[in-house]
Amino acid sequence: MKQNIYIFLILILSTVLISAETADEKGLSIAMQSYENSRGYVDSQSDQLMILIDPNGNEVIREISGKTLENEDPNDGDKSIIFFNKPKDVEGTVMLSHTHVNDDDDQWLYLPALGRVKRISSSNKSGSFMGSEISFEDFSGLDYRKYDWKYLGEEEYDGETCFKLESYPKYKNSGYTKRIGLTDSLFRARKIDYYDRKGELLKTIYFEDYNLYLDKIWNADTFKVVNHQNNNSTIYKWINRELNVGLNKKDFEKSSLLKLAD
Amino acid sequence: MNKTFNILLYISFSLFLLTSSNYSVALEYKSYGYIQPEFSYFLDGKGRHNQSKDKSSVFSQGTFIAYVQDDAAKITVNAIGRYDDQDNNRTYFDLQKFKYEYFLDDATLSIGNDIIFWGVNESFHVVDIINQSNIAENLAGTKKLGQPMIALSFYKEIGDINLYMMPYFRERIFPGNKGRPRYAAEIDKDSVTFESSEEEKRIDLAVRFSKVIDDFDIGISHFRGNARDPELSVDQSTLKLNPYYPILSQTSIDIQATKESWLYKLEALTGKIESENHVRAAGGFEYTIYGINNTSQDLGIVAEYLFDDRNSNPFNNETALAVRWTKNDINSTALLAGAYLDLRGDSNRFFCEYEKRLKDDVKLFLDASLNGHINSNDFTYAFKDDSNLTIKIAKYF
Repeated sequence: MKQNIYIFLILILSTVLISAETADEKGLSIAMQSYENSRGYVDSQSDQLMILIDPNGNEVIREISGKTLENEDPNDGDKSIIFFNKPKDVEGTVMLSHTHVNDDDDQWLYLPALGRVKRISSSNKSGSFMGSEISFEDFSGLDYRKYDWKYLGEEEYDGETCFKLESYPKYKNSGYTKRIGLTDSLFRARKIDYYDRKGELLKTIYFEDYNLYLDKIWNADTFKVVNHQNNNSTIYKWINRELNVGLNKKDFEKSSLLKLAD
Repeated sequence: MNKTFNILLYISFSLFLLTSSNYSVALEYKSYGYIQPEFSYFLDGKGRHNQSKDKSSVFSQGTFIAYVQDDAAKITVNAIGRYDDQDNNRTYFDLQKFKYEYFLDDATLSIGNDIIFWGVNESFHVVDIINQSNIAENLAGTKKLGQPMIALSFYKEIGDINLYMMPYFRERIFPGNKGRPRYAAEIDKDSVTFESSEEEKRIDLAVRFSKVIDDFDIGISHFRGNARDPELSVDQSTLKLNPYYPILSQTSIDIQATKESWLYKLEALTGKIESENHVRAAGGFEYTIYGINNTSQDLGIVAEYLFDDRNSNPFNNETALAVRWTKNDINSTALLAGAYLDLRGDSNRFFCEYEKRLKDDVKLFLDASLNGHINSNDFTYAFKDDSNLTIKIAKYF
């Protein structure tokens, strides 16, 4: 009898130990699969619409258009150019980013009033993007290399069984301490809860409006962001998104900002 | 003269473009701009030259972009203008950009008016030389005049190379008699002289090499042509100031190092005017604290120092200090406050600039410019009584 209890305890202990180990591995492998599924787009261009909504329901519109270039170097981040269109006072402003996995990005801003290209600090990856509830950091939130992962189990969401994953940012200037997200059986992120630097629930991003591109890549064409602390929300929509359009790689360098700018 | 020349040049240029184009597809273009009424109130009553205690003006800017020739070429028009109720010199129209660009894979040819900015500093733009300043707009000279040019840019592995050929020189625009602030004496527009016998038709040349190396953005430039900054001498018969534009040769370097939240900046040049050499340099840092107190607000600090080895230059030992607060809210509320300090203690000037979006297409700007102590022998003594508050409201379309 006593022996049985020992065996039972050892079994439980080893299960806990083994599953503790595999929780990290399983989390990482799901995150990797999810990320790999989003790769191979080569380059993309799109118009992007943001609706910023305050707690009283007042809405403000932001419009940008963007181009991205997939980095062939698997150890580095992608490159992007953002053209600001609305609000109208920022029309003509262009931003170039060379993103890096766990370092600050390289960013340049073209300021039309001065005809000037300025290298800017990107240490504010976690800051608000154009007054919205989304930050620059969130756009690369699927990059598994930026986080440590843990598999928490399964959870029903929207009628589907999803993987529940916890992730911890590796980037030291991240605005978050933890994220808890649900990823579906097609390895598409469905929602992620973000916890701020104090460890409190900050916001939730719902990934909606999934469309299949190039017959292989699922992109959420709507991000719905709800901030639980200030009760603002943001709806971020990608419109006219095209992948593998054959953009000129040289356009993603600093010298092209003047060429592409108004 | 300038305006007529520009307009004639561009009408013929436009006609050439229109008639030589074989592409009769519908023109894809975009256009936008704004109109901005402004009102300034001077805190010390009437000016030293009996200028009005307030001034009103309207500034406007319009941009037009069209891609042509199957996107291989682009036409850009960026026009600005102002109507000022006091100062005739501040009432003007300028084609900042009026250019045709043709793009090759690793080169661009550009013909027409353009604004070219060189440098990294916030306050002291030492190496920036291509465009003339319109100091009737502001004495700091940050508002430029479109420079006619033919420019060739090459984008190579070793870096970018820009060549500029500037066939026509633009004279500096100074504040007029009723302008406030203005110089102590009137500038005589009819007594402009040049070192070059070709005067404003001298062909000025410039070349620039620039490269990004990791955290460093580096530019090395050389310019030879009519100096943008004229020497002013008093005409004993008229008691007016006569501008004289010597030929300037200038070699410069500008570097910015971007290290996380710190930007370190340096601009330095060596110049030669009529066999006299001079050295001018300015540098400093910009540091930003992001998300102060766990809010979305940022606080930036800018400090820059300017040095010039010419004692004759009124700005040869200056410091600029500023604090920039950005709320990062839906209205893009921001505040910039700071001071220009002459380290010899001759003059101090303080400024504060607040901005906020009132509506989707309306933005408010409130500026304060306040003079501190100014010695009577300092160049800026002429502006001593010109502390003012300015309100601007921009309507975008």
